[in-house]
Amino acid sequence: MSVRKSHAGLPRAIISVAAALALSSIQARAAGTPIPHGTLELIAEKQWVAAGHPFNVALRFELEKGWHVYWVNPGDSGEPPRVTWDLSHGIKAGAIEWPAPRRLGASTIVDYGYEDGVTLIVPMRADANLSSQNPVQITASVKVLVCREMCIPGKAQVSLTLPVKLQSPPASAQSTQFFTEARKAWPRPAPASWKFSIAQTNDSFVLTANLGHKITGAIFFPLAESQVSNAAPQTLVTTGMGFTLTLRKSDQLLKPIARLKGVLVLSGEQPYSIDAPIGKPVATSPPGSK
Amino acid sequence: MKRSTLSLIIVAIILCAAPLLLAAAKIGDPAPAFTATASDGKTYKLADYRGKYVVLEWHNNGCPYVGKQYESGNMQKLQKQWTGKGVVWFTILSSAPGKQGFVTASDENAYITKMQAAPTAALLDPSGEIGHLYDAKTSPQMVVINPLGVVIYDGAIDDKPTTDLADVPGATNYVSLALEQSMAGKPVATPATRPYGCSVKYSDSSH
Repeated sequence: MSVRKSHAGLPRAIISVAAALALSSIQARAAGTPIPHGTLELIAEKQWVAAGHPFNVALRFELEKGWHVYWVNPGDSGEPPRVTWDLSHGIKAGAIEWPAPRRLGASTIVDYGYEDGVTLIVPMRADANLSSQNPVQITASVKVLVCREMCIPGKAQVSLTLPVKLQSPPASAQSTQFFTEARKAWPRPAPASWKFSIAQTNDSFVLTANLGHKITGAIFFPLAESQVSNAAPQTLVTTGMGFTLTLRKSDQLLKPIARLKGVLVLSGEQPYSIDAPIGKPVATSPPGSK
Repeated sequence: MKRSTLSLIIVAIILCAAPLLLAAAKIGDPAPAFTATASDGKTYKLADYRGKYVVLEWHNNGCPYVGKQYESGNMQKLQKQWTGKGVVWFTILSSAPGKQGFVTASDENAYITKMQAAPTAALLDPSGEIGHLYDAKTSPQMVVINPLGVVIYDGAIDDKPTTDLADVPGATNYVSLALEQSMAGKPVATPATRPYGCSVKYSDSSH
């Protein structure tokens, strides 16, 4: 894909202006590509790639009001967006950084996802020996299920071309807000002083949290499918120092599990990631662990 | 308040709450009994099929996950293959009136003809009663009941939770596996899976 194709017959000045416009517009942000009931864009956080330094891109889903896409664990129905990367030599893609989802749906069927849109940040690595002569090309082929009452599968291919330089890159003005917003919804490791333990009965997991302060609301999102019943009410009992949250086991959970991983959303606080063994009290996951 | 009115109200509350109070069908439990009218106009009672294997297939003709199975011809193939071996196959339509996927008997009969589908019958469940009895979450959720009337499989149709037709040929079909293993006198190796697909479009007011 090149913008420098020859266009015999067109005045040279027009070609250069058009080429300059095309280059500037694809530099940090590709145009929105249609998906069912919305658009998908691939955006870069910074204006260029610095050889040998990590950088971030993001898949920005904008959806019509009321339509949703899914979290990594979609819950009772649906499926998460799936991405296949086609990258210039020397570029490697990491895993999607999923923001905390919302519970979607009615009483007996509950899904986990994002209504109206979401920005999925993907960390990238750039080899130290990248040449500034060759801009890097990043292409994502995305399969996505977009649902409101009904579900429509879509496919889109989105691309981005970024220059390579030695200096560290400045932020891209158009993209900054999306990255900032997305990071607010990222689950972070809970403070080391917080203690979680998970006990179990025949039909439930009981998550007990000692946070050192009182909370007003808590929702747990299980990272893996088929461990916790999605639709069952999560029964919260608050204490002065924390809470217990009773999570009904999934009917599909036929073998015991050793750990429960997920995202904890406390009212008025940022989301936290939890990875705790079932049975004895432990602290939460260390930073970066999944 | 008159005594008879009060008891009527109590009965109404109990009737409405019953599907919630009864735990949904679980693997190894007796399959909840039901009676339903099918698109062919006949009435079908689960209890009449004791002694046979019964497959329940939650259906919604606008769902792309269902579309994958029918456009590839896979669902029809399974229906023909297993009913040919004496299995009773009920397609179940639990979309409520006004909801996506709701069909009348004649809509469903036209669909069956067009798609050359071959279930034993397509059961109309606009109240969502059968769906709630089995806690059906998605189309195409699948349930297999053995000749003793016990649920031996509940979950996805296969191990490829996508809408891609290309994923059908390489998929492991859990319904066929459950039927094959059970008919061979073996335990079902994978008796419960996450039933992927589109959510069942129940009435907002039903429970």
